[in-house]
Amino acid sequence: MRRRRIFAATAVAAAGALLISACSSSSGSSSSSSNNNTTPGAVAFNAGISAVVNPSTHKGGTLIFDNSSTPDSFDPGNTYYAWVLNFDRLFVMPMFTFKSCPGACGEQLVPDLATDMGTVSDNGLTWTFHIQSDVKYEDGTVATAQDVKYGIERTYDRTVAANGPTYYQALLTDPKYPGPYKDKSPAGLTAIDTPNATTLVFHLVAPFPDLPDVLAFPSSAPVPQAKDTGANYQLHPVSTGPYMFKNYTLNKQLTLVPNPQWNPATDPNAKQLPSQIIVNLNVSQPDIDNRLIHGDIQVDSAGTGLAAAGRAQVLASPTLKANADDPVNGFARFIYLNTKVAPMNNLHCREAVEYAANKVTMQTAWGGPLAGGQIGSTIMPPNIQGYKSFDYYNALSQSTGDMTDAKKQLQLCGQPNGFSTSMAYRSDRPTETAAVTALQASLATAGIKVTLKGFPAGSYYTDFAGAPAYMHSHNIGMAAGGWGADWPDGFGFLDSLVAGNTISSTGNSNIAEENNPVINNLFTQSSKVTGAARTALWSQIDEQAMKDAVILPMVYQKVVLYRPSNLTNVYVQAFYGMYNYAVMGVSS
Amino acid sequence: MIYFIIRRLILTVFLLLLVSAITFAIFFLVPRLAGQTAYQLAAQYVGKTPTPSEILAVEHKLGLNDPLYLQYGRFVKGIIFGVHYNNGPDVSYCPFPCFGYSFRNQQPVWPQLISDAPVTLSLAIGGAILWLIGGVSIGVLSALRRGSFFDRLSMGIALAGVSLPVFFTGLISLELFSYKWAIFPNVHYVGITSNPVQWARNLVLPWVTLAFLYAALYARLTRAGMLETMGEDYIRTARAKGLPERKVIIKHGLRAALTPIVTIFGLDLGLLLGGAILTETTFSFPGLGQFTILAIQNQDLPEIMGVVMIAAFFIVVANMIVDILYAVVDPRVRF
Repeated sequence: MRRRRIFAATAVAAAGALLISACSSSSGSSSSSSNNNTTPGAVAFNAGISAVVNPSTHKGGTLIFDNSSTPDSFDPGNTYYAWVLNFDRLFVMPMFTFKSCPGACGEQLVPDLATDMGTVSDNGLTWTFHIQSDVKYEDGTVATAQDVKYGIERTYDRTVAANGPTYYQALLTDPKYPGPYKDKSPAGLTAIDTPNATTLVFHLVAPFPDLPDVLAFPSSAPVPQAKDTGANYQLHPVSTGPYMFKNYTLNKQLTLVPNPQWNPATDPNAKQLPSQIIVNLNVSQPDIDNRLIHGDIQVDSAGTGLAAAGRAQVLASPTLKANADDPVNGFARFIYLNTKVAPMNNLHCREAVEYAANKVTMQTAWGGPLAGGQIGSTIMPPNIQGYKSFDYYNALSQSTGDMTDAKKQLQLCGQPNGFSTSMAYRSDRPTETAAVTALQASLATAGIKVTLKGFPAGSYYTDFAGAPAYMHSHNIGMAAGGWGADWPDGFGFLDSLVAGNTISSTGNSNIAEENNPVINNLFTQSSKVTGAARTALWSQIDEQAMKDAVILPMVYQKVVLYRPSNLTNVYVQAFYGMYNYAVMGVSS
Repeated sequence: MIYFIIRRLILTVFLLLLVSAITFAIFFLVPRLAGQTAYQLAAQYVGKTPTPSEILAVEHKLGLNDPLYLQYGRFVKGIIFGVHYNNGPDVSYCPFPCFGYSFRNQQPVWPQLISDAPVTLSLAIGGAILWLIGGVSIGVLSALRRGSFFDRLSMGIALAGVSLPVFFTGLISLELFSYKWAIFPNVHYVGITSNPVQWARNLVLPWVTLAFLYAALYARLTRAGMLETMGEDYIRTARAKGLPERKVIIKHGLRAALTPIVTIFGLDLGLLLGGAILTETTFSFPGLGQFTILAIQNQDLPEIMGVVMIAAFFIVVANMIVDILYAVVDPRVRF
């Protein structure tokens, strides 16, 4: 969801079967940060996927990030961009975070400001969390449970904090709470109680086992009410993390310096190694790639990888290639097949599309196996908990298209000579345009004529593909889309895509309008079980949705990331699908 | 002369008002005429999965539910008197000349423009000096040595300069002088007040890139003008009077040939001051050009309005200065 919103980041993103390897404990102070459980990675292609490359405890130096765009906001309560969620951990401590370690270990949710994973009441409607009592802001004052509650309250005022997710409004009681700027009552948001300075009690409208995942968003970081500057908070959020804002020129440059009040014992998943961190914004992508390759900067913070020219240069040189990683990052590209628009409302017509599509040409359009991604046959990509490999439409066994089965399905859907439909896509996204054009060509060979209808990305979900009435009235049976989970389990990935109760009149992400009672029941079950039983449900939902042929998978996306030799403690954090920004250092 | 200047100033204000009205109509009125509602516009600035009441709240906060003439009046009033805007916990004041409040960044537009302007000014003025001196000098020398190797070489290079886009020459210059030979490594903008030497060092490549494009044009224009002027009877007369050749060339030939150059220089500089989009993007300089691109990408209407007004201001003022210079040179223009 959040990654769909990364306009500039869309061209890339990756997903990936990340090799399970030893995890870095990342404990303790940066100067003594132990890598006891870390397998230091040799400098080699893809070494950063499964191990720490250039492990170091060296302090000092300036770590420079460049970004070809801008953040949605550095206000922790007002962001949804993947790279900002990753980067925010340098200056705020949310309730939970993902464990700092390479490999699949990096998908593990662990307490950050919280002391443990919380306790839930028998009916699943009340969660109790405790926070550390000795975490301090940059001014030396102690962060309290009331500050965590206030930080969450701020996200309810969409006139100030519009960018972030809306899970609290959907999950907690008191959904109409207007936010602390309009509501001046002493109780504030009644859905959260703070009986003392270290305890938070959340009241839910329905059981939701993934609440700790929601609290991994930086919006759960504490905000002292006295220091809240509303819309201007993005210019200087009060730090609880290892670094704090020195200065920030909006959308140009951010400088972070070490937070003297930060205690590494309270924040084992972050480090305080560089003496300064600079983020340059709005730098052209070719410039970023060149600076990376020449070691002038250390990180392309968007995490979307090298552009075509830089990629070609790196992959062609064994020396440079050894400094690159090509992870799959959990983002999937696919085509929604609408279940309400004729003739796509016929299962066999949708299955004909699934069989006939040439997955190789689409993969090539996305950038090929390294930069585009691996061909998908499921909705969930491999790094989502609950993923199970299957191939109902021969996407892997006959990647160039299975015309025999496509013809059979066309017969069954009563359109033996094919049919006509339209497909929505974002015309201002060149790779998506190339992919749907490739699909159009391959479907034409089966007699399925697709008329492409391009729309601007900015209003794609609000006014066009995400507006069912528009899709129906314009007979648009297919729509290009992409998805990255807000947290790495099946609920985070599948709920918005195929759960019947998520269909909405605008901003709709269930564009196929899948409303299968079997799937809906599985989602209902998922709120009542935990652990392996719950995880098993995700593959069942994935399989059922694929049997319903509501989504045509294209690729699980991959990106080519580059790590200059002067960048230390570098590895891909599995959940983010990019390097872990919270622990990096610089050698010179 | 004073009346002439006052007349021009009044006309400038009128022109800027007209530009603001037309720009406002393009971005606010035309979408309405095409069927877009204030609600739909507000929905673009509420983030993911907003409820109707949240969209209405944003619509109200941004004033999009007001009649368009009121919204335009508020914009103009903000430029003249400043604007109060709701920050969340309190109300802040954006003083004159406040160009509105960004829908996307939730920050007043004017401070952002002011913060970006020095970058564009540095780029445009430095580049302009280079291309004016370089272009005119090459043009004069080419005209005086018509048909020579120098003439053919310089005009060939000029043709390349006119033909090659900035994003090509800029990237080539970066590749060669920044990455391959590292004469100007790690080019990035440094403020003149923080380090004048670094400011100049980092601007050399953008200046040269910009100057390469414009100097080529100016060289060709100057050459053509000089060739025409140097064939005039009064040049022959000047020579016949025994004036030194240097004086003939500079005082009589070049002066007359420069008239169209001054006109086009005013336009070019004015245009560039509004944002050297390609050069700033190529070199990642955070100036008005980059601001423009970002405003358009974000569909941030107040920011687009602001940058259009700034660009219009520079162009109109540059033209006014050219007109005044003309009036100095040729008194007939005043009437």
